Amino acid sequence: MTSEPRAFLALDKGAATVAAALIGRVAGRWRLVGSIAMPADAQLEAVISVLGDRVLEAEPEFAAGLGLRPGSVLELPRLEVASQGPGRLAVVAASARGLAPLVASASRSGWRTSSGSADAIDPLAMSMLLLDPGVSAILVGAADPPGVDERRGIGELAALVAAVAERRPDLTIILAGAMTDHLSAFRDADRRSGEIVLAPAAQRDMPGGPLADLLLELALPAGDSHRSLGPAAATLAEVLDRQVDIVEIGFDAGTRVSARPNSGGGPPAFDLAVVPAAALSHAEPDDAMVDRVGSWSTWGADRHRLRDRLRELDVAPWSDAAGEGSALRMAAARAALARLAERTSDWDHRPPADLVVAAGGAWAVASAPAVALAIADVLRRPGASQYALDHARLLAPLGSIPDPGERRAIITDLLDDLLVPLGTFVTPAGLRSGRSAGSMVVHGSDGDTEHDLQPGGLTRVRLAPGVEAVAEFRFRDTVKLGARGRHFAVDVAGGLGGLIVDLRDVPLNLPERADLRGELLESWEQALLHGPEA
Amino acid sequence: MSATGVQLVSVRQLVASPVDATFRLSPGDRPIVSAGESVVVGAPIAERLRDPRLDTFDIAPSAVEPEPGARWTGRARRGDGHGPIGEYMFEWHGRWRVATGDVTDPIETPFAGIVREVRPGTGITIRAAGRGIAGVVAFGTPTRGRLQAGAEGELRSGGLDVGSAGTILVVASRVDAETLTRARAMGVRGIVVAGLSSKERRDFMGSEARQRAALHRLPPFAVLVLDGAVRRSLSGAVQALLGALAGRQVAIVTDPPMLIFDQPNLVIEPPPIDLVRIRAGALAGREGRFIAAIGPRRFQGGARLEAAIVHLPDGTEAAIPIGDLERYV
Repeated sequence: MTSEPRAFLALDKGAATVAAALIGRVAGRWRLVGSIAMPADAQLEAVISVLGDRVLEAEPEFAAGLGLRPGSVLELPRLEVASQGPGRLAVVAASARGLAPLVASASRSGWRTSSGSADAIDPLAMSMLLLDPGVSAILVGAADPPGVDERRGIGELAALVAAVAERRPDLTIILAGAMTDHLSAFRDADRRSGEIVLAPAAQRDMPGGPLADLLLELALPAGDSHRSLGPAAATLAEVLDRQVDIVEIGFDAGTRVSARPNSGGGPPAFDLAVVPAAALSHAEPDDAMVDRVGSWSTWGADRHRLRDRLRELDVAPWSDAAGEGSALRMAAARAALARLAERTSDWDHRPPADLVVAAGGAWAVASAPAVALAIADVLRRPGASQYALDHARLLAPLGSIPDPGERRAIITDLLDDLLVPLGTFVTPAGLRSGRSAGSMVVHGSDGDTEHDLQPGGLTRVRLAPGVEAVAEFRFRDTVKLGARGRHFAVDVAGGLGGLIVDLRDVPLNLPERADLRGELLESWEQALLHGPEA
Repeated sequence: MSATGVQLVSVRQLVASPVDATFRLSPGDRPIVSAGESVVVGAPIAERLRDPRLDTFDIAPSAVEPEPGARWTGRARRGDGHGPIGEYMFEWHGRWRVATGDVTDPIETPFAGIVREVRPGTGITIRAAGRGIAGVVAFGTPTRGRLQAGAEGELRSGGLDVGSAGTILVVASRVDAETLTRARAMGVRGIVVAGLSSKERRDFMGSEARQRAALHRLPPFAVLVLDGAVRRSLSGAVQALLGALAGRQVAIVTDPPMLIFDQPNLVIEPPPIDLVRIRAGALAGREGRFIAAIGPRRFQGGARLEAAIVHLPDGTEAAIPIGDLERYV
């Protein structure tokens, strides 16, 4: 944006849906004027036109103030990100032991992976794996220095990969750790169209290290919507001066960002994981995947029917979003979120984020409390967190603004519009079942209200968006709520779901029997959506 | 009708053109065509190794230095016959690993076209002379046959007869694994179906794998699924096109999943721009005319979705989520 526009469009072109938002300059600040989301196959210009027409129809004078007239919305500057379909990375190593950390790093770096080790598959099978037409890059690595189990096979593996590189000059080849010593095996490296990249070794028990950062760089271009969530979260953390997590479940990948303000005055820091395995849907869902969705389903379908529905979801993800389709999406989103949490389990030791933002098309069709409950069901961390929804899918486009100062200024302006507050979840751990766990007093501007705390359920307290209060907890026994103790006072903020005290197990224990599990899940959802408010 | 409203509806291509179909190759398979070459229907394009293995050979010094992917020919063991053949894979400690095997099966193209790319060990891509109807998935082996209209609804195994041998059958809504297995056994060359459930698909693929393990070579047979995994009728536009192709030779390829036909004189009228098909929900499978986009509406389960009014052939109108609509162009 070189001139001084009074309005611009923020576009998030996802793999399943496209979201367009109109941002206008109002009283010296950027504000969200309107937003819309449509199937990704819809004509983008038509989507933008409909958005412009709605603004003109609803507020003609306001629209005129932004310089909008019929048809002119198409001429506005655009801030655009797109979800690039993840490429396939073939990951190979000399030993299964050496392969595991490579796969752990690669699978959360924006790549779909297929893998094999020289001690588990023969060279012919490995050649087939590497020559697969769907493969767009190869990661071949070893520890540095190589382990005893790797030393014997590392030379032959390098020769095999070098031969594949000669046959497929378009492939990007990443040599990691001690495998970089075998660069000389790759002849004519300068004449290849695909790069040969030297990378650090994968670190065991640290999948998000420098190798993962490099793989992310190679996997996702600068304008990728998943990648843009990193800078967006960091700026949000800086503006709010709070620790912010973003969990995005998209059609082709799940993304998790953990950002914290830098107390030393430097730029805010963030960790980013883009996990294609945590996508909402998969073309060929295996039994484990289907069963996992089934474990979150209140629908009661057998495995075959559930697989059919998941395949339909993959073919037309924007379709069948009402009724059972909505329930299926939420079950699939929970299952995807669980996969995302597993791939980023090394973040579990961190204190829970002050603000958890749900992003991505998967949440678009559910009510605000249902979204909050889905996240609380899966990401179970003892503590208190405020939940919010990136309802207009603005975070990714704003995160793509290259200049940190400009990005911070726009996000500061848009802070009131950017996120829908879903509410505050307070989750104590270590409750004993079977009797009252204690009591809670909410000190609000309208006075104090006292509530009994019953283990195993959800207690919801009405607290409107924008309202702040202090919740004082007195537990009978020692529990974990950030720290261990019996008496806590927690600052809470309201939202569409209000204040929710989650007294269920951490982690959640669900019954084995599908019918009992379904009933329990439904009762929690009903308690949150329609149940009596405390 | 809203001028831009119908453009919000997801679009599917009725006819794809050009069509580049890929035939996968494994290391050791021998391509026998080269890029730029024209191929006719049924022409062999490669030889597939049935049970490939990796052998190690000392290569005698010669004028031509071996390179990965190049063909290797071994010395004949007796007489003047051809020696074993294979493909150079990689060199290690001065010896070459070669993918080779004893028995090969020919890979034939089921359509005419021009070879675009040949990558030994990876695949052969051919641009078809003709156009295609895209599906969502296809499995089996590329095949060719005369297109024949099958059952109106679900095709049962009892509904098949030997007269269908050599044909590709169109099944309007759904088919089960038993029928697919019986169709293959009776010489049917392929099935085009709107929906195939996961269970039937898995059962059939299991049967196919067992057959392949037991027999030397199966006749080509493929299943092309046009819509998805649940019961749904074929769209009117696709039905009309398949009707026009009935009795003519067509091919099914698996990558991409597509029905290919070479009928240059066949004029395909584009469907009316406002003709939409309902993909999901209570009215799934029905078609109607798009009247207008009406903005967000609340639907079953409380979901708030962008909606449109659709005029149905029975004279009624319904508000449908725009995401549940699709149109062919």
